Amino acid sequence: MTNSILIDTTKCTGCERCVAACIDANKLDPHKADIDRAQTEDGLSSNRWANIQKVADDRFARKSCMHCLEPSCVSACLVGGITKTPEGPVVYDPTKCIGCRYCMLACPFHIPRYEWENAVPYMRKCDMCFERVQQGGKPACVDACPNGALVFGSRKELLQKAQEIVAANGSTYIPHVWGETEFGGTSVLYISDEDLSALGWPEPQTAAIPGLTEPLISKTPFIGLGVATCLLSVNWIVRRRMKLAGEIDNHEVERND
Amino acid sequence: MTDRTRPIKDIFWILALCGLVAGIFRMWFGLGATTNLTDAMPWGLWKVLNMVAGVALSTSGFTVGFLVYVLRLERFRPLMKPAILIAFLGYGCSMTALLFDIGLPHRFWHPILMWNEHSFLFEVFWCVLLYFTITFIEMLPNIFERLRAERLVRLLHAGTFGVVIVGISLSSLHHSSLGSLFLVTPLRLHALWYSSWLPWFFVLSAMGGGIMMIVLVRILYARWYDPEPVFGTQLEPGVPGPADLLSLPGVSRGYTSRDMPMLAGLASIGAGIMSCYAVLKVVDLVRLGSWNALLAGTWESWLYSAELILTAILPIILVAIPRTRRSPVGLGAAALSGAFGLALNRLDVGIFGYFRDAHTVYFPSLAEWALGIGVIAAAGLVFFFIVENTAVFDNNWRQRYLSRGVFHATFDRWSHVWFAVLMSGVHRVTLLAVFVLPLAWVFLYPAYHNEKPITVVQASVGMDNMRANLRIDGDRQGVLAEFAHAEHQQRLGGDSSCAACHHVSLPGDRSTPCSRCHSDMIFATKIFDHSFHTVAVAEKEHLAGLYPANHSCALCHGDGLPKTASTVKTCYECHRDDMWLVGRPDSAVSLMNAPSFRDAMHGTCITCHTREKERVGRPQLDECATCHRSLTARRLATASHAQDDNALGAVAFGERPVGASDSGSSH
Repeated sequence: MTNSILIDTTKCTGCERCVAACIDANKLDPHKADIDRAQTEDGLSSNRWANIQKVADDRFARKSCMHCLEPSCVSACLVGGITKTPEGPVVYDPTKCIGCRYCMLACPFHIPRYEWENAVPYMRKCDMCFERVQQGGKPACVDACPNGALVFGSRKELLQKAQEIVAANGSTYIPHVWGETEFGGTSVLYISDEDLSALGWPEPQTAAIPGLTEPLISKTPFIGLGVATCLLSVNWIVRRRMKLAGEIDNHEVERND
Repeated sequence: MTDRTRPIKDIFWILALCGLVAGIFRMWFGLGATTNLTDAMPWGLWKVLNMVAGVALSTSGFTVGFLVYVLRLERFRPLMKPAILIAFLGYGCSMTALLFDIGLPHRFWHPILMWNEHSFLFEVFWCVLLYFTITFIEMLPNIFERLRAERLVRLLHAGTFGVVIVGISLSSLHHSSLGSLFLVTPLRLHALWYSSWLPWFFVLSAMGGGIMMIVLVRILYARWYDPEPVFGTQLEPGVPGPADLLSLPGVSRGYTSRDMPMLAGLASIGAGIMSCYAVLKVVDLVRLGSWNALLAGTWESWLYSAELILTAILPIILVAIPRTRRSPVGLGAAALSGAFGLALNRLDVGIFGYFRDAHTVYFPSLAEWALGIGVIAAAGLVFFFIVENTAVFDNNWRQRYLSRGVFHATFDRWSHVWFAVLMSGVHRVTLLAVFVLPLAWVFLYPAYHNEKPITVVQASVGMDNMRANLRIDGDRQGVLAEFAHAEHQQRLGGDSSCAACHHVSLPGDRSTPCSRCHSDMIFATKIFDHSFHTVAVAEKEHLAGLYPANHSCALCHGDGLPKTASTVKTCYECHRDDMWLVGRPDSAVSLMNAPSFRDAMHGTCITCHTREKERVGRPQLDECATCHRSLTARRLATASHAQDDNALGAVAFGERPVGASDSGSSH
């Protein structure tokens, strides 16, 4: 069962309790997290995996890992250090990481952050409190939200619920569930009465990023063998022509050498 | 023969030593302290210049191998060994730089055991690793020849053809994969460079670039080592000319600028490939409909044009004109232009193309430059060493070896003795190191490490454990007073007002300090920043002139009116969208001045305290010490107020005071 978080921005007051709970649950340094909120463009950093951003007057939205259904970071990581778990969260394994930072380049949402200040750095991002979810719990941020702006549950049910809410309150909500189809669908869904482009998302693109690379890379062995075959056949032709030429004129070959 | 390579070698030693120092700092202090990489620009100079561009420029082994072994174009055979040397050094160079670039260098071997065959970086890693091994195997005959291990040389030669075929296949795979690396950034990379054709562009341009590199290196080699210098340098008297050398035993393959026609032919092939590549790129722009981005006049479009001119247009012109084609300088310029254009393309795809999306500009730090260039310089030194001691370019190494004069007899004026200096080069490098290393150490030492340099603002607001009473230290002098949070909230707009104070915080602060606006303790404070507004208004209205701010007066004060506070627009007229925080002000002047901190606090607290003291039945409620805890502490010492103050002090800490309930019941 793939789990999801549904975020209703109309209920979010921007109190940042979810962020505080995240910092608490993941044992991050709250002081550094505060500094990073002020110093980074979107408030996310290796010390701050989630942030509340103002999307419009009076409207706030939480920004953190979207836990894509077909994550680009998972496809990009060369040691397979990031995995999409069946429970929903996209989880990072720090014991495999070599620090190439390709996941940071690959993520369309600019989510993975690096511990630049450390001499032995790792990538850090929201893991939807994977351990708590595994034990049947909810992510810390969902538990902390005082207004019920965050809801945790099975993605299918939440999607249905979101569509019902949007359909029932057509005058309030924008008739769109963010995360339903964006980049192949995400495990974090948003409904809102204001446009969410202020979260710094890329232009909505429905296709998943791995769809751009994986069809190509699966052909790699065949391309390699194909190139080798071409080279050998071209060489065979060239040699045969040289041999024929040599039979006609031996001096020509010698001069060529 | 004097050593024409000496100045180059000295420069390379200096750069390599600087790189060594930068490398030590990178390993010791980490990436954040030594590089300018950020979360927005995670890939920088080392990956893009050393890996992506470096590997692209080391394609010589691949292309010359194809010409010589597959197409059997024997006239290019003399370039085979140099081409492999370039490939070997180029790949070694990029792998060394990558070792410093990855965050956890001690895990460089992880991809060997931990596989993710969906990742193009994984494919690049394996192909580069295997290809580097292959170039190393192809380099071995030179070393064995030098060591006179004839049997091993023959053994290796037998397998050469197979090794070359595998090498070319691997090459074409990883060059396309390097392009495919950037396929995952369809929304980040600038439209001029992002294309589904990137892999093909990378293979094609790398083939051209490899040819340009071998031409360039061969011409430089002739400049440095050929007995008959191709740049018109005069031969020194007594030096044997090419004819003499040819008659020496073991120098049958010696060649000089007689190779110029062959190089011109090779450069023509390279320029031809580059032109095909440029044409394809333009076709691709039309196909994707992003050609208007090329005409947009942005700096990206200029970079793109520069790239096209350098990679294709300039080389093809230089090769097409017979005069420049025949001259080593012209041919060298064509090759250099092609190679430089190729490197620029890789930098565009890997770095410059991301600036617009990242909303930031990345410029490599001094340490990044030092290491990135230092690794290349070190590879250059290895190049000189291998060229001088093996028969890579020709069989003249024995002459070169002898001419360098390993033992120098030197007369020392001081001690009046003759002595032999072993390996003068070693002395020279030691001398260089003595000067370079300390300088590099000082200049490359990270400005900070572990902690970013930030002035942490002392928190102005604190809460008690119950989060009921808020105590503030407005002037940050360590004196706390109670703060009517609920009332502030109500006055600023109820539940939606949190952001008015809590989302404009200073770095390191939990909330906006009162002093941000009420910056003066005693007097009313002018919060309107006039000089800021003159500049900001001029910018917003796109005013022209040498000092645009000087023309912005009339926009607020009105034309022809006296420029005083009484004639000015109200803030609301411009800041319509921002004013929901504070409500509509009655006049401009009222908003330009914030009450003094004392007045603001006292106004809020004392008014209410005075009103409420009767109702609550606590006559001390409007006294200073009720809020000012330090005053309370001082007064606790005096017996007369002790009991009463104790009760009030407890209120300030949110505890349920005994005294308060007593007075309440007695009322």
